[in-house]
Amino acid sequence: MKRTLPLIIVITFGFLFVGYTFIPHQYSQDFYDWYMDWIKALSPFGVILGIMSITMAHTARIQRRVANWPYSLVTLLGLYFTAASGFIWGTQEGTPYMWIFKNIQMPMGATMFALLAFYIASAAYKAFRARSAEATVLLVAAVIVMLGQVPIGITIFGEGITDLTQWILDVPNLASKRGIALGVGLGMVATSLRILLGIERTYLGGGE
Amino acid sequence: MKIFEQIQQLDRRWIYLVLALAIILPLIIPFNSRTHTTKPTENLYRMVDSFTPAPGEDPVEKDRAILMVFMHDASTMPELFPMELAMLRHCFERNIKVFTLTFLATAAPIIDYAINTVKEEFPDKTSGVDYVNFGYKVGSLYLPIILGMGEDISEIVDIDAEGRKLSSLPIMTNIKNYNEMNLVVEFSGSSAGAGWITYARSRFGTNVAVGVTAVMAADTYPQLNTGQLIGMLAGLKGAAEYEKLVDVFASKDKEFSKENLRNEAEDTTITNPDIPYKFKQARIGMNAQSVAHILIIVFILIGNIGFFIQKYKQNKEM
Repeated sequence: MKRTLPLIIVITFGFLFVGYTFIPHQYSQDFYDWYMDWIKALSPFGVILGIMSITMAHTARIQRRVANWPYSLVTLLGLYFTAASGFIWGTQEGTPYMWIFKNIQMPMGATMFALLAFYIASAAYKAFRARSAEATVLLVAAVIVMLGQVPIGITIFGEGITDLTQWILDVPNLASKRGIALGVGLGMVATSLRILLGIERTYLGGGE
Repeated sequence: MKIFEQIQQLDRRWIYLVLALAIILPLIIPFNSRTHTTKPTENLYRMVDSFTPAPGEDPVEKDRAILMVFMHDASTMPELFPMELAMLRHCFERNIKVFTLTFLATAAPIIDYAINTVKEEFPDKTSGVDYVNFGYKVGSLYLPIILGMGEDISEIVDIDAEGRKLSSLPIMTNIKNYNEMNLVVEFSGSSAGAGWITYARSRFGTNVAVGVTAVMAADTYPQLNTGQLIGMLAGLKGAAEYEKLVDVFASKDKEFSKENLRNEAEDTTITNPDIPYKFKQARIGMNAQSVAHILIIVFILIGNIGFFIQKYKQNKEM
Protein backbone atom coordinates (compact mmCIF):
# COMPACT_ATOMS: atom_id res chain seq x y z
CA MET A 1 0.00 0.00 0.00
CA LYS A 2 2.94 2.35 0.76
CA ARG A 3 3.95 2.13 -2.89
CA THR A 4 0.58 1.61 -4.53
CA LEU A 5 -1.16 4.71 -3.16
CA PRO A 6 1.57 7.20 -4.27
CA LEU A 7 1.64 5.41 -7.64
CA ILE A 8 -2.12 5.88 -8.07
CA ILE A 9 -1.85 9.58 -7.09
CA VAL A 10 1.00 10.21 -9.57
CA ILE A 11 -0.73 8.42 -12.46
CA THR A 12 -4.12 10.05 -11.78
CA PHE A 13 -2.75 13.58 -11.51
CA GLY A 14 -0.37 13.00 -14.41
CA PHE A 15 -3.26 12.15 -16.73
CA LEU A 16 -5.42 14.96 -15.32
CA PHE A 17 -2.68 17.48 -16.19
CA VAL A 18 -2.26 15.96 -19.64
CA GLY A 19 -6.00 16.50 -20.01
CA TYR A 20 -5.81 20.06 -18.72
CA THR A 21 -3.00 20.87 -21.18
CA PHE A 22 -4.57 19.34 -24.27
CA ILE A 23 -8.36 19.65 -23.69
CA PRO A 24 -9.62 23.25 -23.59
CA HIS A 25 -12.86 22.50 -21.71
CA GLN A 26 -14.53 24.09 -18.69
CA TYR A 27 -13.99 20.88 -16.70
CA SER A 28 -10.22 21.03 -17.18
CA GLN A 29 -10.21 24.73 -16.21
CA ASP A 30 -12.25 23.93 -13.08
CA PHE A 31 -9.81 21.19 -12.19
CA TYR A 32 -6.91 23.63 -12.59
CA ASP A 33 -8.59 26.28 -10.35
CA TRP A 34 -9.26 23.62 -7.73
CA TYR A 35 -5.62 22.48 -7.92
CA MET A 36 -4.39 26.06 -7.50
CA ASP A 37 -6.34 26.51 -4.28
CA TRP A 38 -5.04 23.24 -2.89
CA ILE A 39 -1.40 23.83 -3.81
CA LYS A 40 -1.49 27.19 -2.01
CA ALA A 41 -2.75 25.47 1.13
CA LEU A 42 -0.33 22.55 0.87
CA SER A 43 2.87 24.54 0.30
CA PRO A 44 3.38 25.76 3.91
CA PHE A 45 3.11 22.16 5.12
CA GLY A 46 5.90 21.26 2.70
CA VAL A 47 8.12 23.91 4.30
CA ILE A 48 7.29 22.63 7.81
CA LEU A 49 8.11 19.09 6.70
CA GLY A 50 11.48 20.29 5.33
CA ILE A 51 12.36 22.11 8.56
CA MET A 52 11.36 19.09 10.66
CA SER A 53 13.41 16.79 8.48
CA ILE A 54 16.61 18.89 8.60
CA THR A 55 16.20 19.43 12.37
CA MET A 56 15.74 15.73 13.10
CA ALA A 57 18.64 14.67 10.87
CA HIS A 58 21.11 17.13 12.35
CA THR A 59 19.92 16.73 15.95
CA ALA A 60 20.57 13.01 15.63
CA ARG A 61 24.08 13.70 14.30
CA ILE A 62 24.81 16.01 17.24
CA GLN A 63 23.42 13.59 19.83
CA ARG A 64 25.44 10.70 18.44
CA ARG A 65 28.57 12.90 18.16
CA VAL A 66 29.29 11.54 14.68
CA ALA A 67 32.28 12.82 12.69
CA ASN A 68 32.04 16.57 11.90
CA TRP A 69 29.01 16.99 14.19
CA PRO A 70 29.93 20.66 14.91
CA TYR A 71 28.94 21.43 11.30
CA SER A 72 25.46 20.16 12.09
CA LEU A 73 25.35 22.50 15.08
CA VAL A 74 26.34 25.44 12.87
CA THR A 75 23.67 24.42 10.34
CA LEU A 76 20.92 24.35 12.97
CA LEU A 77 22.08 27.57 14.64
CA GLY A 78 22.26 29.27 11.24
CA LEU A 79 18.80 28.03 10.31
CA TYR A 80 17.03 29.01 13.50
CA PHE A 81 18.90 32.24 14.23
CA THR A 82 18.42 33.56 10.66
CA ALA A 83 14.75 32.57 10.67
CA ALA A 84 14.17 34.06 14.13
CA SER A 85 15.90 37.33 13.23
CA GLY A 86 13.70 37.59 10.15
CA PHE A 87 10.52 36.90 12.13
CA ILE A 88 11.38 39.27 15.00
CA TRP A 89 13.02 42.25 13.28
CA GLY A 90 11.91 41.78 9.67
CA THR A 91 14.08 41.40 6.58
CA GLN A 92 14.47 45.00 5.48
CA GLU A 93 17.66 47.07 5.26
CA GLY A 94 19.20 47.74 8.70
CA THR A 95 17.86 44.56 10.33
CA PRO A 96 20.01 41.71 11.77
CA TYR A 97 18.70 39.47 8.97
CA MET A 98 20.10 41.79 6.30
CA TRP A 99 23.35 42.10 8.30
CA ILE A 100 23.73 38.31 8.28
CA PHE A 101 23.04 38.24 4.55
CA LYS A 102 25.50 41.03 3.67
CA ASN A 103 28.32 40.07 6.03
CA ILE A 104 28.16 36.28 6.17
CA GLN A 105 26.14 34.71 3.38
CA MET A 106 27.15 37.05 0.56
CA PRO A 107 30.96 36.99 1.05
CA MET A 108 31.03 33.26 1.82
CA GLY A 109 28.90 32.40 -1.21
CA ALA A 110 30.98 34.60 -3.50
CA THR A 111 34.20 33.13 -2.12
CA MET A 112 33.09 29.60 -2.88
CA PHE A 113 32.16 30.51 -6.45
CA ALA A 114 35.37 32.53 -6.93
CA LEU A 115 37.47 29.44 -6.20
CA LEU A 116 36.39 28.22 -9.63
CA ALA A 117 38.75 30.73 -11.28
CA PHE A 118 41.74 29.22 -9.48
CA TYR A 119 40.79 25.67 -10.42
CA ILE A 120 40.30 26.70 -14.05
CA ALA A 121 43.70 28.43 -14.15
CA SER A 122 45.42 25.46 -12.59
CA ALA A 123 43.61 22.98 -14.86
CA ALA A 124 44.40 25.09 -17.93
CA TYR A 125 48.07 24.99 -17.06
CA LYS A 126 48.33 21.38 -16.03
CA ALA A 127 45.84 19.58 -18.29
CA PHE A 128 44.76 21.67 -21.30
CA ARG A 129 47.07 20.09 -23.90
CA ALA A 130 46.88 19.82 -27.70
CA ARG A 131 47.21 16.02 -27.52
CA SER A 132 45.00 15.30 -30.54
CA ALA A 133 43.29 17.10 -33.43
CA GLU A 134 40.03 17.34 -31.43
CA ALA A 135 41.82 18.70 -28.38
CA THR A 136 43.59 21.26 -30.57
CA VAL A 137 40.27 22.48 -32.03
CA LEU A 138 38.86 22.78 -28.52
CA LEU A 139 41.95 24.63 -27.32
CA VAL A 140 41.96 27.11 -30.22
CA ALA A 141 38.20 27.75 -29.85
CA ALA A 142 38.62 28.31 -26.10
CA VAL A 143 41.43 30.81 -26.63
CA ILE A 144 39.41 32.73 -29.25
CA VAL A 145 36.29 32.84 -27.04
CA MET A 146 38.32 33.91 -24.01
CA LEU A 147 39.87 36.76 -26.00
CA GLY A 148 36.56 37.76 -27.58
CA GLN A 149 34.85 38.03 -24.20
CA VAL A 150 37.14 40.67 -22.70
CA PRO A 151 37.89 44.30 -23.63
CA ILE A 152 41.63 43.66 -23.92
CA GLY A 153 41.02 41.05 -26.64
CA ILE A 154 39.13 43.61 -28.71
CA THR A 155 41.83 46.22 -28.10
CA ILE A 156 44.54 43.84 -29.39
CA PHE A 157 42.71 42.08 -32.24
CA GLY A 158 39.93 44.53 -33.11
CA GLU A 159 36.19 43.83 -33.32
CA GLY A 160 36.84 40.87 -35.64
CA ILE A 161 37.63 38.71 -32.60
CA THR A 162 34.13 39.42 -31.22
CA ASP A 163 32.55 38.40 -34.53
CA LEU A 164 34.59 35.20 -34.56
CA THR A 165 33.59 34.47 -30.94
CA GLN A 166 29.96 35.10 -31.79
CA TRP A 167 30.23 32.73 -34.77
CA ILE A 168 31.67 29.97 -32.55
CA LEU A 169 28.79 30.45 -30.10
CA ASP A 170 26.12 30.78 -32.81
CA VAL A 171 27.14 27.90 -35.08
CA PRO A 172 29.23 25.02 -33.65
CA ASN A 173 28.10 25.63 -30.06
CA LEU A 174 24.47 26.02 -31.08
CA ALA A 175 24.54 22.85 -33.20
CA SER A 176 25.89 20.76 -30.34
CA LYS A 177 23.53 22.33 -27.79
CA ARG A 178 20.54 21.63 -30.04
CA GLY A 179 21.61 18.02 -30.39
CA ILE A 180 21.87 17.70 -26.61
CA ALA A 181 18.52 19.48 -26.11
CA LEU A 182 16.78 17.16 -28.57
CA GLY A 183 18.22 14.13 -26.81
CA VAL A 184 17.19 15.45 -23.39
CA GLY A 185 13.71 16.34 -24.71
CA LEU A 186 13.11 12.91 -26.14
CA GLY A 187 14.42 11.37 -22.94
CA MET A 188 12.02 13.50 -20.88
CA VAL A 189 9.05 12.47 -23.03
CA ALA A 190 10.02 8.81 -22.72
CA THR A 191 10.53 9.08 -18.95
CA SER A 192 7.24 10.97 -18.51
CA LEU A 193 5.38 8.27 -20.41
CA ARG A 194 7.04 5.56 -18.34
CA ILE A 195 5.99 7.36 -15.13
CA LEU A 196 2.42 7.95 -16.39
CA LEU A 197 2.05 4.30 -17.34
CA GLY A 198 3.52 3.12 -14.04
CA ILE A 199 6.54 1.44 -15.64
CA GLU A 200 9.08 3.80 -14.06
CA ARG A 201 8.86 3.51 -10.25
CA THR A 202 12.34 4.36 -9.00
CA TYR A 203 11.15 7.80 -7.79
CA LEU A 204 9.11 5.99 -5.14
CA GLY A 205 12.38 5.04 -3.44
CA GLY A 206 13.42 1.80 -1.80
CA GLY A 207 14.01 -1.51 -3.52
CA GLU A 208 11.73 -4.37 -4.31
CA MET B 1 65.16 23.28 -22.42
CA LYS B 2 65.39 22.35 -18.75
CA ILE B 3 63.46 25.42 -17.77
CA PHE B 4 60.35 24.12 -19.56
CA GLU B 5 60.62 20.84 -17.69
CA GLN B 6 60.82 22.75 -14.42
CA ILE B 7 57.85 24.90 -15.44
CA GLN B 8 55.85 21.71 -16.09
CA GLN B 9 56.43 20.69 -12.48
CA LEU B 10 55.51 24.15 -11.13
CA ASP B 11 53.70 24.06 -7.79
CA ARG B 12 50.07 25.07 -8.37
CA ARG B 13 50.22 27.48 -5.45
CA TRP B 14 52.37 29.79 -7.59
CA ILE B 15 49.62 29.75 -10.22
CA TYR B 16 47.06 30.66 -7.56
CA LEU B 17 49.24 33.52 -6.31
CA VAL B 18 49.83 34.99 -9.78
CA LEU B 19 46.13 34.70 -10.65
CA ALA B 20 45.10 36.33 -7.35
CA LEU B 21 47.37 39.29 -8.10
CA ALA B 22 46.08 39.47 -11.68
CA ILE B 23 42.52 39.76 -10.38
CA ILE B 24 43.08 41.98 -7.35
CA LEU B 25 45.32 44.65 -8.92
CA PRO B 26 42.91 45.74 -11.71
CA LEU B 27 40.12 45.95 -9.10
CA ILE B 28 42.22 48.21 -6.88
CA ILE B 29 43.58 50.32 -9.75
CA PRO B 30 40.73 50.79 -12.28
CA PHE B 31 41.65 51.75 -15.84
CA ASN B 32 39.53 52.64 -18.84
CA SER B 33 38.77 49.86 -21.28
CA ARG B 34 36.39 49.74 -24.19
CA THR B 35 33.20 47.74 -23.68
CA HIS B 36 31.91 46.31 -26.93
CA THR B 37 28.15 45.71 -26.78
CA THR B 38 26.68 42.58 -28.35
CA LYS B 39 23.32 42.07 -30.05
CA PRO B 40 21.59 40.03 -27.28
CA THR B 41 22.35 42.80 -24.76
CA GLU B 42 21.31 45.57 -27.14
CA ASN B 43 18.06 43.77 -27.96
CA LEU B 44 17.19 43.45 -24.28
CA TYR B 45 18.10 47.07 -23.58
CA ARG B 46 15.91 48.26 -26.45
CA MET B 47 13.02 46.05 -25.36
CA VAL B 48 13.16 47.44 -21.79
CA ASP B 49 13.48 50.95 -23.23
CA SER B 50 10.30 50.44 -25.25
CA PHE B 51 8.35 50.33 -21.94
CA THR B 52 9.19 54.02 -21.28
CA PRO B 53 6.11 56.25 -20.87
CA ALA B 54 5.62 58.76 -23.67
CA PRO B 55 6.59 62.39 -22.92
CA GLY B 56 3.85 63.95 -20.80
CA GLU B 57 2.29 60.60 -19.94
CA ASP B 58 1.73 59.86 -16.25
CA PRO B 59 4.00 56.87 -15.41
CA VAL B 60 1.44 55.54 -12.91
CA GLU B 61 -1.18 55.37 -15.67
CA LYS B 62 1.17 53.56 -18.05
CA ASP B 63 -0.20 50.15 -19.07
CA ARG B 64 3.20 48.51 -19.48
CA ALA B 65 5.53 46.93 -16.92
CA ILE B 66 8.43 44.51 -16.69
CA LEU B 67 9.05 41.67 -14.26
CA MET B 68 12.52 40.87 -12.92
CA VAL B 69 12.80 37.35 -11.52
CA PHE B 70 15.74 36.76 -9.17
CA MET B 71 16.62 33.04 -9.23
CA HIS B 72 20.06 32.87 -7.67
CA ASP B 73 21.73 32.96 -4.30
CA ALA B 74 24.67 34.99 -3.02
CA SER B 75 27.33 32.83 -4.69
CA THR B 76 26.61 34.17 -8.19
CA MET B 77 26.08 37.77 -7.11
CA PRO B 78 29.43 39.07 -8.46
CA GLU B 79 28.19 38.31 -11.99
CA LEU B 80 24.43 38.75 -11.68
CA PHE B 81 24.03 41.58 -9.17
CA PRO B 82 25.56 44.26 -11.47
CA MET B 83 23.05 43.21 -14.17
CA GLU B 84 20.17 43.61 -11.75
CA LEU B 85 21.41 47.00 -10.59
CA ALA B 86 21.86 48.19 -14.18
CA MET B 87 18.36 47.07 -15.19
CA LEU B 88 16.70 48.57 -12.11
CA ARG B 89 18.60 51.79 -12.76
CA HIS B 90 17.40 51.72 -16.37
CA CYS B 91 13.79 51.35 -15.21
CA PHE B 92 14.10 54.13 -12.63
CA GLU B 93 15.82 56.47 -15.10
CA ARG B 94 13.04 55.91 -17.65
CA ASN B 95 10.09 55.79 -15.19
CA ILE B 96 9.32 52.21 -16.24
CA LYS B 97 7.07 50.21 -13.90
CA VAL B 98 9.07 47.30 -12.54
CA PHE B 99 8.09 44.24 -10.51
CA THR B 100 10.46 41.86 -8.74
CA LEU B 101 9.85 38.26 -7.72
CA THR B 102 11.72 35.17 -6.58
CA PHE B 103 10.95 31.53 -5.93
CA LEU B 104 14.17 31.06 -3.96
CA ALA B 105 14.24 31.97 -0.27
CA THR B 106 17.94 32.84 -0.54
CA ALA B 107 17.24 35.38 -3.28
CA ALA B 108 14.70 37.39 -1.26
CA PRO B 109 17.32 39.55 0.50
CA ILE B 110 19.09 40.08 -2.85
CA ILE B 111 15.97 41.81 -4.19
CA ASP B 112 15.82 44.14 -1.18
CA TYR B 113 19.53 44.81 -1.43
CA ALA B 114 19.33 45.59 -5.15
CA ILE B 115 16.32 47.91 -4.83
CA ASN B 116 17.82 49.75 -1.85
CA THR B 117 21.18 50.13 -3.59
CA VAL B 118 19.65 51.69 -6.71
CA LYS B 119 17.11 53.73 -4.75
CA GLU B 120 19.92 55.65 -3.02
CA GLU B 121 20.32 57.54 -6.31
CA PHE B 122 16.55 57.79 -6.89
CA PRO B 123 15.07 58.85 -3.54
CA ASP B 124 11.80 59.96 -5.18
CA LYS B 125 10.93 56.39 -6.27
CA THR B 126 8.21 54.88 -4.11
CA SER B 127 7.32 51.26 -3.48
CA GLY B 128 3.84 50.50 -4.71
CA VAL B 129 3.89 53.45 -7.11
CA ASP B 130 7.04 53.15 -9.24
CA TYR B 131 8.00 49.59 -8.38
CA VAL B 132 6.75 46.72 -6.30
CA ASN B 133 8.47 43.68 -4.86
CA PHE B 134 6.23 40.61 -5.08
CA GLY B 135 8.79 39.00 -2.77
CA TYR B 136 9.48 35.32 -2.19
CA LYS B 137 6.90 32.77 -3.26
CA VAL B 138 7.43 29.10 -2.43
CA GLY B 139 8.79 26.93 -5.22
CA SER B 140 5.65 24.80 -5.41
CA LEU B 141 3.78 27.91 -6.60
CA TYR B 142 6.18 28.38 -9.51
CA LEU B 143 3.88 26.92 -12.15
CA PRO B 144 0.59 28.24 -10.73
CA ILE B 145 2.06 31.75 -10.56
CA ILE B 146 3.55 31.67 -14.08
CA LEU B 147 0.23 30.46 -15.50
CA GLY B 148 -1.92 32.53 -13.15
CA MET B 149 -0.21 35.78 -14.11
CA GLY B 150 -1.57 35.20 -17.59
CA GLU B 151 -5.06 35.69 -16.14
CA ASP B 152 -4.73 38.19 -13.30
CA ILE B 153 -1.47 39.18 -11.57
CA SER B 154 -3.18 40.78 -8.55
CA GLU B 155 -5.23 37.67 -7.93
CA ILE B 156 -2.48 35.05 -8.17
CA VAL B 157 0.30 37.02 -6.43
CA ASP B 158 -2.23 38.50 -4.00
CA ILE B 159 0.15 40.34 -1.62
CA ASP B 160 3.58 41.97 -2.08
CA ALA B 161 6.68 41.51 0.10
CA GLU B 162 5.38 44.16 2.50
CA GLY B 163 2.08 42.34 2.95
CA ARG B 164 -0.02 44.83 0.97
CA LYS B 165 -2.85 43.75 -1.32
CA LEU B 166 -1.57 44.14 -4.87
CA SER B 167 -4.94 45.25 -6.15
CA SER B 168 -4.80 48.27 -3.82
CA LEU B 169 -1.43 49.55 -5.10
CA PRO B 170 -1.30 52.49 -7.56
CA ILE B 171 1.33 50.71 -9.68
CA MET B 172 -1.23 48.08 -10.62
CA THR B 173 -3.38 50.67 -12.36
CA ASN B 174 -3.89 49.44 -15.93
CA ILE B 175 -1.73 46.33 -15.25
CA LYS B 176 -3.70 43.07 -15.29
CA ASN B 177 -1.74 40.24 -16.91
CA TYR B 178 0.97 39.46 -19.48
CA ASN B 179 -0.77 41.71 -22.00
CA GLU B 180 0.58 44.63 -19.97
CA MET B 181 3.52 43.03 -18.11
CA ASN B 182 4.91 41.81 -21.37
CA LEU B 183 8.55 41.30 -20.47
CA VAL B 184 9.97 38.83 -17.98
CA VAL B 185 13.71 38.87 -17.29
CA GLU B 186 15.00 35.96 -15.23
CA PHE B 187 18.41 36.16 -13.56
CA SER B 188 19.86 32.78 -12.76
CA GLY B 189 23.11 31.01 -11.97
CA SER B 190 21.90 27.83 -13.66
CA SER B 191 19.53 27.17 -16.55
CA ALA B 192 17.32 30.21 -16.92
CA GLY B 193 14.06 31.08 -18.61
CA ALA B 194 12.86 27.52 -19.31
CA GLY B 195 9.66 27.76 -17.27
CA TRP B 196 8.79 31.18 -18.65
CA ILE B 197 9.44 30.09 -22.25
CA THR B 198 7.42 26.89 -21.85
CA TYR B 199 4.40 28.35 -20.10
CA ALA B 200 4.34 32.17 -20.31
CA ARG B 201 5.71 32.59 -23.83
CA SER B 202 4.06 29.66 -25.57
CA ARG B 203 0.67 30.24 -23.96
CA PHE B 204 0.46 34.01 -23.54
CA GLY B 205 3.10 35.33 -25.95
CA THR B 206 5.14 36.93 -23.16
CA ASN B 207 8.57 38.27 -24.08
CA VAL B 208 11.24 36.46 -22.10
CA ALA B 209 14.89 37.37 -21.56
CA VAL B 210 17.57 36.09 -19.21
CA GLY B 211 20.64 37.17 -17.32
CA VAL B 212 22.95 34.23 -16.69
CA THR B 213 26.43 33.49 -15.44
CA ALA B 214 29.08 33.19 -18.16
CA VAL B 215 29.41 29.42 -17.74
CA MET B 216 25.70 28.96 -18.44
CA ALA B 217 25.50 31.36 -21.40
CA ALA B 218 26.41 28.76 -24.04
CA ASP B 219 23.36 26.69 -23.00
CA THR B 220 21.04 29.57 -23.80
CA TYR B 221 21.98 30.14 -27.45
CA PRO B 222 19.40 27.70 -28.91
CA GLN B 223 16.53 29.70 -27.34
CA LEU B 224 18.18 32.97 -28.32
CA ASN B 225 18.62 31.86 -31.90
CA THR B 226 14.97 30.83 -32.30
CA GLY B 227 13.68 34.08 -30.79
CA GLN B 228 12.18 32.35 -27.74
CA LEU B 229 14.46 34.64 -25.77
CA ILE B 230 14.42 38.24 -26.95
CA GLY B 231 17.75 39.01 -25.30
CA MET B 232 20.39 37.81 -22.90
CA LEU B 233 22.96 39.22 -20.52
CA ALA B 234 25.84 36.77 -20.44
CA GLY B 235 27.97 36.90 -17.32
CA LEU B 236 29.92 39.91 -16.15
CA LYS B 237 30.42 40.92 -19.78
CA GLY B 238 26.66 41.20 -20.31
CA ALA B 239 26.38 43.24 -17.11
CA ALA B 240 29.19 45.56 -18.27
CA GLU B 241 27.48 46.03 -21.64
CA TYR B 242 24.15 46.86 -20.02
CA GLU B 243 25.85 49.28 -17.59
CA LYS B 244 27.41 51.04 -20.54
CA LEU B 245 24.12 51.30 -22.46
CA VAL B 246 22.37 52.78 -19.41
CA ASP B 247 25.24 55.25 -18.95
CA VAL B 248 25.37 56.31 -22.59
CA PHE B 249 21.61 56.51 -23.24
CA ALA B 250 19.15 56.14 -20.34
CA SER B 251 21.06 58.32 -17.85
CA LYS B 252 21.31 61.07 -20.48
CA ASP B 253 17.73 60.70 -21.66
CA LYS B 254 18.88 59.70 -25.16
CA GLU B 255 17.48 57.16 -27.58
CA PHE B 256 19.57 54.10 -28.42
CA SER B 257 21.77 54.57 -31.46
CA LYS B 258 24.70 52.53 -32.76
CA GLU B 259 26.44 55.72 -33.87
CA ASN B 260 26.47 57.17 -30.34
CA LEU B 261 27.83 53.90 -29.02
CA ARG B 262 30.84 54.08 -31.31
CA ASN B 263 31.58 57.63 -30.20
CA GLU B 264 31.31 56.80 -26.52
CA ALA B 265 31.65 60.02 -24.53
CA GLU B 266 34.56 60.43 -22.14
CA ASP B 267 32.27 61.01 -19.14
CA THR B 268 30.79 57.50 -19.35
CA THR B 269 34.12 55.76 -18.86
CA ILE B 270 35.20 53.83 -15.78
CA THR B 271 37.47 56.47 -14.28
CA ASN B 272 34.75 59.13 -14.29
CA PRO B 273 34.22 59.86 -10.56
CA ASP B 274 30.69 61.15 -11.19
CA ILE B 275 29.50 57.60 -11.95
CA PRO B 276 29.02 55.77 -8.61
CA TYR B 277 31.04 52.58 -8.19
CA LYS B 278 27.88 50.46 -8.03
CA PHE B 279 26.93 51.52 -11.57
CA LYS B 280 30.32 50.64 -13.09
CA GLN B 281 31.37 47.64 -11.00
CA ALA B 282 30.84 45.19 -13.89
CA ARG B 283 33.10 47.24 -16.17
CA ILE B 284 35.77 47.41 -13.46
CA GLY B 285 35.34 43.68 -12.98
CA MET B 286 35.84 43.15 -16.70
CA ASN B 287 39.31 44.70 -16.39
CA ALA B 288 40.19 42.02 -13.86
CA GLN B 289 38.62 39.40 -16.12
CA SER B 290 40.69 40.71 -19.06
CA VAL B 291 43.93 40.23 -17.20
CA ALA B 292 42.82 36.84 -15.85
CA HIS B 293 41.89 35.60 -19.34
CA ILE B 294 45.21 36.72 -20.79
CA LEU B 295 47.01 35.03 -17.90
CA ILE B 296 45.13 31.76 -18.42
CA ILE B 297 45.98 31.88 -22.16
CA VAL B 298 49.64 32.42 -21.25
CA PHE B 299 49.42 29.44 -18.86
CA ILE B 300 47.94 27.31 -21.64
CA LEU B 301 50.69 28.37 -24.05
CA ILE B 302 53.52 27.71 -21.60
CA GLY B 303 51.99 24.38 -20.62
CA ASN B 304 51.71 23.30 -24.27
CA ILE B 305 55.22 24.46 -25.19
CA GLY B 306 56.57 22.38 -22.30
CA PHE B 307 54.38 19.45 -23.36
CA PHE B 308 55.67 19.49 -26.95
CA ILE B 309 59.30 19.88 -25.88
CA GLN B 310 58.93 16.88 -23.57
CA LYS B 311 57.24 14.90 -26.32
CA TYR B 312 60.02 15.82 -28.77
CA LYS B 313 62.68 14.69 -26.30
CA GLN B 314 60.87 11.41 -25.60
CA ASN B 315 60.62 10.69 -29.34
CA LYS B 316 64.30 11.46 -29.76
CA GLU B 317 65.31 9.10 -26.94
CA MET B 318 63.24 6.30 -28.50
